Amino acid sequence: MLQPTALALQAAFLLVLFLFVAWVVRSTLRDLRRPDELRSAAAPAATDATGIHSALTAGAPPAGLVDPRLVVERAPGHTPGMEYEVAGGAVLGRGEQAEIRLDDPYASSRHARLVLQGGRVVLEDLGSTNGTYLNEELVSGPQPLHQGDRVRIGDSEFTFVDS
Amino acid sequence: MSARNRELLGLIPASLLIVAGFGAVFLQEQTRLDDLSLTYGAIFLGLCLVAHVIVRLRLPDADPYLLPIVAVLASIGLVVIYRLNETLARDQAQWFVVGLIAFAATIILLRDYRVLERYRYLIAAASLFLLLLPRVPGIGQQANGAYLGIGLGPVTFQPAEFAKIGIIIFLASYLRDTRALLVSRKRFGITLPRLKHIGPLLLVWGLAMLMLVFIRDLGSSLMFFGGFLAMLYVATDRFIFPAVGFGLFAFGAWFFASTVGHVGDRVSAWQHPFDPKLYEQIGGSYQIAQSLFAQADGGVWGQGFGQALVSVGDSPILPAAQTDLIYAVIVNELGLIGGIALLLIYVLMVERGFRIAILARDSFSKLLATGLTTVVALQVFVIVGGVTKVIPLTGVTLPFVSYGGSSIVANFVIVALLLLISDRARREARR
Repeated sequence: MLQPTALALQAAFLLVLFLFVAWVVRSTLRDLRRPDELRSAAAPAATDATGIHSALTAGAPPAGLVDPRLVVERAPGHTPGMEYEVAGGAVLGRGEQAEIRLDDPYASSRHARLVLQGGRVVLEDLGSTNGTYLNEELVSGPQPLHQGDRVRIGDSEFTFVDS
Repeated sequence: MSARNRELLGLIPASLLIVAGFGAVFLQEQTRLDDLSLTYGAIFLGLCLVAHVIVRLRLPDADPYLLPIVAVLASIGLVVIYRLNETLARDQAQWFVVGLIAFAATIILLRDYRVLERYRYLIAAASLFLLLLPRVPGIGQQANGAYLGIGLGPVTFQPAEFAKIGIIIFLASYLRDTRALLVSRKRFGITLPRLKHIGPLLLVWGLAMLMLVFIRDLGSSLMFFGGFLAMLYVATDRFIFPAVGFGLFAFGAWFFASTVGHVGDRVSAWQHPFDPKLYEQIGGSYQIAQSLFAQADGGVWGQGFGQALVSVGDSPILPAAQTDLIYAVIVNELGLIGGIALLLIYVLMVERGFRIAILARDSFSKLLATGLTTVVALQVFVIVGGVTKVIPLTGVTLPFVSYGGSSIVANFVIVALLLLISDRARREARR
């Protein structure tokens, strides 16, 4: 036995459900048409920084390595904007022998190094205590660098530029 | 409208559903409209507001639709469970409060979820331990031939629900490290990783098979392995990996279906649910056949709230109506149209999850969001596919709708993690 009120309540229940679905779909579609949030994420600030998409190009030949440099973003004892030539490789660390000296309490004496491998600059952590971060991801094993990659050690941050 | 105000607005439909749903059930049971349904609606709205305030304070940029979607699913679940059994609904409401506490704790304690990466091996080991716990004599419990629950005093607890989160966290962290290595070697024109890189992949496959045999649960093992394959695909962008993985899984499932009795019974019950011999057999096709009858009985518009015939006297017509077969009850009472609405809401939930994965900037977050979303999506597929005779029926819960404490709490933790990832991703994207 279905009373009219029960029927009305059930219809209302289904109506609310479908209105809710329509509301979420509509808002989602609007976000897609005006894609500020998506565009900035799909094309990160630097055009082809090592992101999730570049696993495939990891072994690809370099696309014209002109003048690889590390640009200081912020680092204790360095002026932002300063550039280091890294075409011949370099060791980053707190120690005397490091080519790029870091006055950073979180840096080990030989913290990380850059080496040229197959025409590409490769970043490698040298067993440091606090780790090296490439685009805010902990580096484990050699990582090829791409234009715009951010390398961070403790409070020191660099951007890799190769053109 | 800001993201948080949009979320607040989205919580209103969920409370309306509670009011309308409980109203209809009261009418059916006591033939009068009780204003108690308004009280329940208000309490539910209050609980949603608590979750909303926590998100507003801690994760101001998080996805605005995820929480309303969860609230709507929860309200459907509460109404249907109440209609089946008042005591269970009261339990379920208490579990929601526990789930909300877990949700709040995850958001507040795990400010930077990336610390999880540091404990990945610990998390993996703990998850494996949880998975095997139901086989420990004394606390392990067997239900319908599957070992899923453990009894701790009065509370039954399904450790697999929590293990799945841990395993996804481990896989996200592991694949972040090895994804470049997995695609780095080519032989004969195809990607062929070295054994030491592919080894853990085979280990996960072995694990899924082990679950099939030891825990005897095809549904969970499909969930785990499917989530893993989705993450592998996202990590490597090579279709060959999920294709080979799915082939391996199909082979393993076929092998065990033909050799292990329990798995084989499930498959024949699935293929011939209306075979009189299987229908009469204990643990045969009774459940799946009744589920199909119930859904057919619902038709397009449904029988109406409180109209589904769940039991005659004391003997149940729909076994496990509040857990495994809750989808069949919903389709019986709300019809095809209600079933479609429910599935659409799950589709939206999965869409939000993948969108969070797309927006996330670092690989760990991307993989974690992908994995968590895929596991929820597959869980819905496994149980809805089971009751509609698409795949063999196995008992997993319908997320946020089915009765079951561990499931609710674990799913709240998943949503909390997705919101954490989303908050960071959207804040970084805006900058």
